[in-house]
Amino acid sequence: MEYLIIGNSAAGINCADKIRSIDKKGKITIISEEPFEAYGRPLISYYLAGKYDINLMKYKPAEFYSGRKINVVLKCQAQQIDTKKKEVKCSNKKTYKYDKLLLATGSIPFVPPVKGLEKHKNVFTFLKLEDAQKIEKVITKKSKVVIVGAGLIGLKAAEALAGKVGQISVIDLADRLMASVLDKKTASIMQKHIEENNIKFKLSTTVSEVSSDGVILSDGGKLDCDILIMAVGVRPNTSLAQNAKIKINRGIVTDKYMMTSVKDVYAAGDCVESLDVLSQQNKILALWPNAFIQGETAGANMAGVKTPFGGSFAMNAIGFFGIQLISAGIIDPKDQGYNEYVEYDETKVTFKKLVIKDDKLVGFALLNLPYRAGIYTSIINDRISLKDLNYDITKRDIGLNVFSQDIRYNKMFRGKNG
Amino acid sequence: MKKVYAFEKNCLGCGLCEVYCRTAHSKSKDIIKTYKKENIQSAIVVEEILSPKTKTYFALQCRHCSDPKCIKACISGAMYKDENGIVRNIKEKCVGCLSCVLVCPFGAVKKSTEKKVISKCDLCIDTGGDPACVQNCPNNALKLMDEEEVK
Repeated sequence: MEYLIIGNSAAGINCADKIRSIDKKGKITIISEEPFEAYGRPLISYYLAGKYDINLMKYKPAEFYSGRKINVVLKCQAQQIDTKKKEVKCSNKKTYKYDKLLLATGSIPFVPPVKGLEKHKNVFTFLKLEDAQKIEKVITKKSKVVIVGAGLIGLKAAEALAGKVGQISVIDLADRLMASVLDKKTASIMQKHIEENNIKFKLSTTVSEVSSDGVILSDGGKLDCDILIMAVGVRPNTSLAQNAKIKINRGIVTDKYMMTSVKDVYAAGDCVESLDVLSQQNKILALWPNAFIQGETAGANMAGVKTPFGGSFAMNAIGFFGIQLISAGIIDPKDQGYNEYVEYDETKVTFKKLVIKDDKLVGFALLNLPYRAGIYTSIINDRISLKDLNYDITKRDIGLNVFSQDIRYNKMFRGKNG
Repeated sequence: MKKVYAFEKNCLGCGLCEVYCRTAHSKSKDIIKTYKKENIQSAIVVEEILSPKTKTYFALQCRHCSDPKCIKACISGAMYKDENGIVRNIKEKCVGCLSCVLVCPFGAVKKSTEKKVISKCDLCIDTGGDPACVQNCPNNALKLMDEEEVK
């Protein structure tokens, strides 16, 4: 059996690992466009900040690959899939055959068309280690940096550059930062905190034109700009699948076994549309744990062990300038029927929000309260009725003591996870 | 594998397990010096269970899950399962993003006080012998037992 995996990150590697745990003999090859061995992409901001040595970035030690006989081909772009002949043509002029193929092609940055963008010589995106290295080369203590996008990527870039450049402005079309993750209140607390670190925000506006040394905003404002970082968002990288006539909606469409519309071709991670169990809709959930689990699930199925993917929901853990956000599920409900419980301590800069619907916890956001957040996540995940818990979770800090003795014993003594 | 199991009926809630956990993971290995000079987070959570008339306790450490969610959430590769099944964290690699805290269903991974990295039970693997919490529990509320035996 020959397994071919396109993409060498959370989904690809953990697919390979799972395959090897089942099939000891098959040939496993991972193809990666990157010149580097696998690294966690979210680490690039720590690298750019100078807080993280490049040698620490390797996601897996070398023994991982050799011990499992996983062959990794770097600097190699998959160019065309022939699903009839079951082979993939690559930029290294080689053609790789497969019996089972995984597409773990991830995300690509979305750069909206902006007038004059080509006039600026220092325009970057911020997704890969190479992007961070390019930015590192051009920044000076005087650089005037404009970041378009106040999402996770844009803000992480801002944090990494704080103190290293002259000025940083972050622009977003939304009225708040991290609009896809945060509600208004949480966003405003975070914004205030980030602004204290000399980062300026221009919200509810966008860049309408770029010149060689500045940007013009849609609200008429102007900003000097030596370095422009486009961090508007990411899109599933689906072009390879599309050319192979694999079914695509917003992302690559798979069944619950992670197989695409074409037999023996699987897909996992950021390039895929996943079932959001809370909304029961298919969404792009470009999240590390989701990619890991989907990759692993695809691997099991590719190696012949039927394993369904159980679905997922949004979750994030991220810090900016020492403020820590942990959130999961629905935290800014737009429809009726949700109850929100909020506790805010302005002096301690702590914030807790629980969102409840039909006696179930469906979301939470915690700022600077990183205590035992995973118990909330498990309550969401296991769809537990709040009336079955030992106490009202809106009134006390969470602990395992929230569960009845029976459930607690099961978790501690007999649970699969435990 | 062997893990630490808590027996609620025996737990006094004294917190000695936490004291010895900190000391075992200190440089000085001395209770007083650890307390006064080394800012170490214990890897144990002592939980209080309130009943109408009584208060009981139990101590919780990492369960070293068979299918650990924390490893799947870890963005840096710092969290891994070693050859003995112990879930461990490479401090140098950890960036303290707390993705592990976000997903641990037991709430057994903590943000550490010393650095930004997380702190969790390693079954005292580097100190040798039984875990410090088990050795020093005055009322046998913590026991190191084989998983299969417990089931």
